[in-house]
Amino acid sequence: MPSCRQTFDPRAALVRPACAAGRRARFVVMAYQFDFTFVPDYAGMLAQGVVYTLGLTVVGGTLGILIGIGGALSRTWDTRPFGELFRYYVELFRNTPFLVQLFLIFFGLPSLGIKLAGWQAAILAMVLNLGAYSTEIIRAGLQATPRGQIEAADSLALTRWQIFLHVMLRPALRKVWPALSSQVVITMLGSSVCSQIAAEELTFVANFIQSRNFRAFETYFLTTALYFALALLVRQAMHLVGRYLIVRRPSP
Amino acid sequence: MSSKCFFRTLALVGAVALGSLAPVAKADVLDNIVKSGTIKVAVPQDFPPFGTVGSDMKPSGYDIDVANLIGKELGSKVELVPVSSGNRVPFLTTGKVDLVISSMGKNAEREKVIDFSIAYAPFFNGVFGPDDIKVAKVEELAGKTISVTRGSVEDLELSRIAPSDAVIKRFEDNNATITAYLSGQTQLIATGNVVAASVNERSKLRRLSTKFLVKNSPCYVGLAKGETALQARVNEIIAKARKNGALNEISQRWLHAQLPADL
Amino acid sequence: MMSFSLWDIVRNLLVGGALTLLLSLAAFVLGGATGLAVLLARIGRRRAPRALARMYIELFQGTPLLLQLFTLFFGLSLFGLDVPAWLAAGLGLTLFTSAFLAEIWRGCVEAVPRGQWEASACLALTYREQMRHVILPQAMRLAVAPTVGFAVQVVKSTAVTSIIGFTELTKTGSMIANATYQPFLVYSLVALGYFVLCYPLSHYAKSLERRLHAAR
Repeated sequence: MPSCRQTFDPRAALVRPACAAGRRARFVVMAYQFDFTFVPDYAGMLAQGVVYTLGLTVVGGTLGILIGIGGALSRTWDTRPFGELFRYYVELFRNTPFLVQLFLIFFGLPSLGIKLAGWQAAILAMVLNLGAYSTEIIRAGLQATPRGQIEAADSLALTRWQIFLHVMLRPALRKVWPALSSQVVITMLGSSVCSQIAAEELTFVANFIQSRNFRAFETYFLTTALYFALALLVRQAMHLVGRYLIVRRPSP
Repeated sequence: MSSKCFFRTLALVGAVALGSLAPVAKADVLDNIVKSGTIKVAVPQDFPPFGTVGSDMKPSGYDIDVANLIGKELGSKVELVPVSSGNRVPFLTTGKVDLVISSMGKNAEREKVIDFSIAYAPFFNGVFGPDDIKVAKVEELAGKTISVTRGSVEDLELSRIAPSDAVIKRFEDNNATITAYLSGQTQLIATGNVVAASVNERSKLRRLSTKFLVKNSPCYVGLAKGETALQARVNEIIAKARKNGALNEISQRWLHAQLPADL
Repeated sequence: MMSFSLWDIVRNLLVGGALTLLLSLAAFVLGGATGLAVLLARIGRRRAPRALARMYIELFQGTPLLLQLFTLFFGLSLFGLDVPAWLAAGLGLTLFTSAFLAEIWRGCVEAVPRGQWEASACLALTYREQMRHVILPQAMRLAVAPTVGFAVQVVKSTAVTSIIGFTELTKTGSMIANATYQPFLVYSLVALGYFVLCYPLSHYAKSLERRLHAAR
């Protein structure tokens, strides 16, 4: 512990004067002494945690939305037996907590002979969860397609697939993209519970640091701020992806 | 969400966090215990034989017996607070409990933030696994996956000595560590020898046989820093219990062994 | 002593489930009340409360519930407040719920056609009167379905409080899973418990939504 502290002074009366030299972010407010000096030591780990969480989000988001498109398609056209299957899948995953799904996949499935590593279980749970939500979100978008549009496309002799892709899916995605983006952000924030199955994402790193330096409050406070920044980033990224993939792309 | 808003929010949170600081009432904990007639003790509920739950969901085990023993000597009612290995120190440093009796070992890192009593239970930690995995010393952990509870002595010790290509899977609590091993998520597990024996007693899923022992790390009662009066009192109680056989009785009951004389 | 019969498992899970239900109800009611206050600030005319409400919503929607709980649970103790797990869980969920409900309800208020504002202004109603007699009643009609839908999220979110040691359904489940070493059985039962709590709610929300659309 360095002997010199820099004091931060939010309330002069409460703060004890301490020596001014030193650039370390450490300040004293009555009994509890905030100490963020651990940050440089663990910066690398925190960065890894951020990358891990982003990775979970990117893979979960991409595959989840793809499943969502497939699910919405089968539900809308009621293709047997997929329409029915997707209905059960959506209800099951939307009505149980992510944490419990994670526990079932990680601790439960091995007794059926399916062993997944922490990161595999985390990704699987993310994908399945987002898949269920995006199925519902995209389906709502598809249902809003005006019948006249489809009839018009029919009369232009477009195939069923062309109609689905250009007349139904693209406008539907454009309509529901904000909702999908929110869902991806919510799932990203929810992924913090993956720390419970030893997937080494950001909250895992926070818990790890906390178990080494015992600075619970500072560590969690910092991590919360990191998540906040990540939420901002993911929302922006979704906005850009949406613009690139759905809005701007020239029609063939 | 604009970035301007983000920074404003961050600034607000910072201001709130700092502005709302009230002085922490730092009275003598022993005084408080005597006055209120209750003592809050952090105990494990996922670590047989030290602490586990029965079908009534009440914790029982070595640590709980010791907590009750200390409570009786102090003449106060014991309030058991179940904690996990990862958060037992914050429970103490943030004043949520008065004592941590949670099969906790002593190390330099911990001694910086909390104080310890004299030892109250023996504990050898080691690496355990099924018979068909051949590991006899720490170097042979290379390429193996080992489950361990984050922040435990086993975790700190293995992190230091294990080869770099050993995969240490750190779990939040002993529940998860043990379940991960039993369900086959990891090849090996690092935990206490008596814990391994106790798990073997209760589960037929996957045997834990001793691969090698890592460290002799007896258990101590953890106290908030600077509570010398309470520390002296707890030490006195443990010393007395060692002498009059009360602690040995607890050891017989839960560890099925005599309390080692050199504890 | 150590042996759990299936009935023991179910019995203990039911107790945990009751706590989950209680926590959800408390969070929903208190969060709804707080959310209403936040909503009024957010759509009000004064700038400062509006900005504050916006930050409040951004903050709780932009960070993980788990970390909000950790910060509350360990943070408040540093300031000399002793926060037991149930209180931290209740408080954290209330704040979380209020932010989401305020935002959902804001969407409903904004969905009320502009013409309604203009028409009521023509009748010389004050802002309060406009809100009370024209806007909020219509917004409320729109809000019922998504609010019931969000109740499902509240019930599911309570699972996270298990991590700070509140012995609700999930925590009870993981304690039993450890005592019995039958994680598949126990977690399946836990999942079933949540499904039983959530499915009727989400079904009800859906039928409300359908009725609303049919009415328009």
